[in-house]
Amino acid sequence: MHQRTVPCQGYFAPRKIEEALEILSKQEKEIKVIAGGTDLLIQYYDRLYEINGWLDLKNIKELQEIKIHQNQMEIGAMVTHAQLEKSAEIKKYFPVLGKAAADIGSPQIRSRGTIGGNIVNASPAGDLLAPLMAYNAQFKLLSTQGEKIVPAEKFFIGPKKTILEPAQLLTRIILPLPSERTFGSWIKIGKRKALIIATITLALVIEMAEDNKTVKDVRTCLGSVAPTPIEIKEVREKMIGKNFDQLDFDQLGQIVEDKISPIDDIRGTKEYRKDVAKEIMINALEEIDAARRSYK
Amino acid sequence: MSKLMIELTINGKKRKVETTHLTRLLDLIRDDLHLTGTKEGCGKGECGACTVIMNGELVSSCLILAPQADGAIITTIEGIGDDKCLDPVQEAFIETGAVQCGFCTPGMILAAKKLLEENPHPDEEEIKRGISGNLCRCTGYQKIFDAIKLAANRLSSRDKGRGEEDV
Repeated sequence: MHQRTVPCQGYFAPRKIEEALEILSKQEKEIKVIAGGTDLLIQYYDRLYEINGWLDLKNIKELQEIKIHQNQMEIGAMVTHAQLEKSAEIKKYFPVLGKAAADIGSPQIRSRGTIGGNIVNASPAGDLLAPLMAYNAQFKLLSTQGEKIVPAEKFFIGPKKTILEPAQLLTRIILPLPSERTFGSWIKIGKRKALIIATITLALVIEMAEDNKTVKDVRTCLGSVAPTPIEIKEVREKMIGKNFDQLDFDQLGQIVEDKISPIDDIRGTKEYRKDVAKEIMINALEEIDAARRSYK
Repeated sequence: MSKLMIELTINGKKRKVETTHLTRLLDLIRDDLHLTGTKEGCGKGECGACTVIMNGELVSSCLILAPQADGAIITTIEGIGDDKCLDPVQEAFIETGAVQCGFCTPGMILAAKKLLEENPHPDEEEIKRGISGNLCRCTGYQKIFDAIKLAANRLSSRDKGRGEEDV
């Protein structure tokens, strides 16, 4: 398929990252970076006229690839939710991320929306954010000044707020490949299945030791329950080094309920979210327990 | 506002169109190309009335900028079937009565076509997921499911027929 860069004042679609960074460094305030547009064009639905210019990343091929490099996976920022959903490698190594991508929006949204857009948009309800945190993702930020690699939990600083500077581009998501006995669960609660902004999401990833009984590591990450996606660190303290058979799921669920700080909004009340957080934590632990037991 | 030229292939025809950086693909299709089968419902990607197929993907044309479609291959409802012969999916929609007010129909048919392309024998759950981005305010979903099942059956028996001829 032929793709051209349209030479025009209000719209730039360079083929190279360097060109994109150059454009950004020169007119950082006047230009809006666009990926899939599935969040951006909704935000600007009734005020598109405010946009002086677009920097469209669609022609930068290297941002559309999922690659495995030694012990890590690199996902280009322009990889779509549909690509994540269908990728065999994501399914193998990062199933929680693949399932979260499959739960986003609708076929129409998944075919356009991107992982980079989901991250930079930084909605507290962004479906991919809790899974990325649970898999210890790092983000590569580029500018003409150089590159910076930031862990996911340092990137988000508030609802729709990140540390990304105007002249920086998020180019890649870096995920360390998990060890063999790593199990995960993804739970999204919303009023309907399709096209729903999550009331609460949970990405639970547990790494087991070789005996398949001792918990080696655990990441309990939630969305829509705080200003940013969060990890409940207290769960780690309670689980690491313990025998999975002796864990008290109810107590672990209670920790999650106690440690989140949700708000009342149109998608659910604070009390509702707290109750549900506990329940989905218990369900996720049960799901992982079953997967662990059937592991050979 | 700065003008810019884009080139795209729409329903098999190459078109050059003058547009702006603030024009949505939906408006380009309706207002500039006069293909008014593509509808605007919500304008925010929730209803699927503006669905088209772009570079083989099901997309909401209200969430795409016209310049983003530069170089793209697009199929709208006008590119499905022709005046003499309807597409099997269109025929199935008519036969099962899956059209009430008709506003969602172009998007539904494109979503159904894309679904059957990827999965020629979808079960009911898969059909629901395939058209989950398209709302029918008349709530005629059951007949839409029936239509998609009928189209799937017809398409597969037609393909089988072809296969036998080949042997």
